[in-house]
Amino acid sequence: MKTIVCIKYVPDTSEAVVKVNPDGKSVDSSRFSFDINDADNYAVEESVLIKEKSGGEVTVLSIGPKQSDVMIRMAMAKGCDRAVRIEDERMALHDPVIVARILAAAAGKQEFDLILTGCMANDDGHMSTGVALAEELGVNHASMVKKLEVLDGRVRAHRELEGGLLEVVELELPAVVTIQTGINEPRYAPIRGIREAQKKELLVSNLDDLGLDAALVDEEASLVVLEELYIPEVVSTAEIIEGEPDEKAEKLASILVKGGLV
Amino acid sequence: MSAEIQTFREKYDLLGCIQCGRCTGGCPVTVRANLNVRQFVNDAYDESKLDELAKIADIWDCTACHTCAVRCPKGLKPLEVLIGLRTLIIESGKVEPTVRDALQSVLLEGNPWEKSRAARSDWMEGLDVRIAEPGVPVENLFFVCCTIAYDRRVQAIAKNMVKIMNKAGIDYAFIDENESCCGSEVFTLGEEGLFEMLIEDNTEFLNGYTANQIVTLSPHCFTTYNAHYPDLKSKVIHYTQLLDQLITDGRLSYSGELQKKVVFHDPCYLGKQGGIYDEPRRLLQKIEGVELLEFERRRERSLCCEGGGGKMWVESESKKERLAETRIKDAKELGADIVAVACPFCVLTLEDAMKNLGYEEEMRVSEIMELLGELFNDPEA
Repeated sequence: MKTIVCIKYVPDTSEAVVKVNPDGKSVDSSRFSFDINDADNYAVEESVLIKEKSGGEVTVLSIGPKQSDVMIRMAMAKGCDRAVRIEDERMALHDPVIVARILAAAAGKQEFDLILTGCMANDDGHMSTGVALAEELGVNHASMVKKLEVLDGRVRAHRELEGGLLEVVELELPAVVTIQTGINEPRYAPIRGIREAQKKELLVSNLDDLGLDAALVDEEASLVVLEELYIPEVVSTAEIIEGEPDEKAEKLASILVKGGLV
Repeated sequence: MSAEIQTFREKYDLLGCIQCGRCTGGCPVTVRANLNVRQFVNDAYDESKLDELAKIADIWDCTACHTCAVRCPKGLKPLEVLIGLRTLIIESGKVEPTVRDALQSVLLEGNPWEKSRAARSDWMEGLDVRIAEPGVPVENLFFVCCTIAYDRRVQAIAKNMVKIMNKAGIDYAFIDENESCCGSEVFTLGEEGLFEMLIEDNTEFLNGYTANQIVTLSPHCFTTYNAHYPDLKSKVIHYTQLLDQLITDGRLSYSGELQKKVVFHDPCYLGKQGGIYDEPRRLLQKIEGVELLEFERRRERSLCCEGGGGKMWVESESKKERLAETRIKDAKELGADIVAVACPFCVLTLEDAMKNLGYEEEMRVSEIMELLGELFNDPEA
């Protein structure tokens, strides 16, 4: 089984104060810590588990700056075999379809049976890159996968649906599967393993190396136009409903109806 | 493989053990867990058993309190055999997610608390703190510690130190946000490779400063620097030693009063590992009004709070009473108003135990720096 796993280097914004830069189109990331995207970490683990069980090899694909090499080396320490990191200033990365187009170009240069991605990125939360990647490559896909079984020439994917339902689908390979967190327990990358992983191949490519025309992935090509980033204003509109329980219920119902909420 | 295991045997001097049992006889966690360190030392002789031994959950019950090392008549450190076994698990990568995340955070952000490096000095906000500059001579270079830097509950240790140093006019400086974890918990969790990296990086970093002495606020950093960093240029002391010396030299005094019964809990990393028992007691005795009580289990026999040895990230399977709760009950029996400690981990574990027991109305847990800070806040002082 030849697997590609796509990973993203994202900021941890859970505790940091998020400030929009004066340009209104970017966020001040100077005080953020960066790490592998949560769901991608599970995708890495799944790719390594598949390799351990069924053999084969795993290639890491990532679009990101040099600082993200540590994240890539960690994935290699866990068992991934090689990596390609794509770095090029011309890419319009706020558009998930463009991200998918770039990943597809890089994947197209490899042989693969299966591509794993995280189901969602911590930073932009689009949840669309994996599916768009499958579309770009013209292969099958399954999203939000909580359990993955490798069969002969196929995979059986257990998809998490709304309302707690699970859908089980079988896909002919090659295919793209987007991994939901909780599918496994990602292992730790010990420092000695990370040092050992320095010996593995990490190829840094730009658009030209991928043979990808910049005009297909730049700002002009993007269907998503980033107009403005802003912190939503906090407003207080709490209303305390007074009265006996039946009066309270009546008032509440009336408010809900007026607001078009029921 | 055999060369590697031979190294394990030699590394921990397993053939030096005479199986006398003083280690297990003193081990504080045996009252609530099945850990039998003597058995591990014995079984680790058998080279083929190491991987099997490493899978026994008991190895994660050790709090690295060092009681076994203090009591060993052969001068061995039985606890380090357990750490060596933990290393086998760590290197396999299959560790508890809490341990994984703490270790990864040390690598990426220089602290085990999954906090951003950029926020490490945020505790300094609003304070007149002198920041150390490489190459500029300073008498006392303060090393804050990850827990004190990020955990709001114990930040007062550092904040009060700044106020006291400023007021007493002492030559000091703090390291900025480039300070990194000393590796105390990295070592006891068994991440040998990461610990080696920290020793190398921190030695180079700290040697870039020209300090007469490095003063740590946590006994964990104090012990780790003294035990594992052979190439540091400056000597490393704990803050209780510094303050005790300043008082002896007449360079520091405090005049407020505290009419309380105070019992001092010896932190394992300060006492058993650092040999510092008298300085914190003297600091407390100097406070007017303090009646200093003593636990029955004190100094070398002090009961561990279970905060060390990486236990902040590993939950014991045992549901029996926590040692910190035993300690707080003992303090209550003594009639103590305050349990004083000199370690951020002890504050967190003992205070947690005190709250669990519902004693908040009757007593409190305080770091010595918190008590001293209150005196310095007193306008009369």
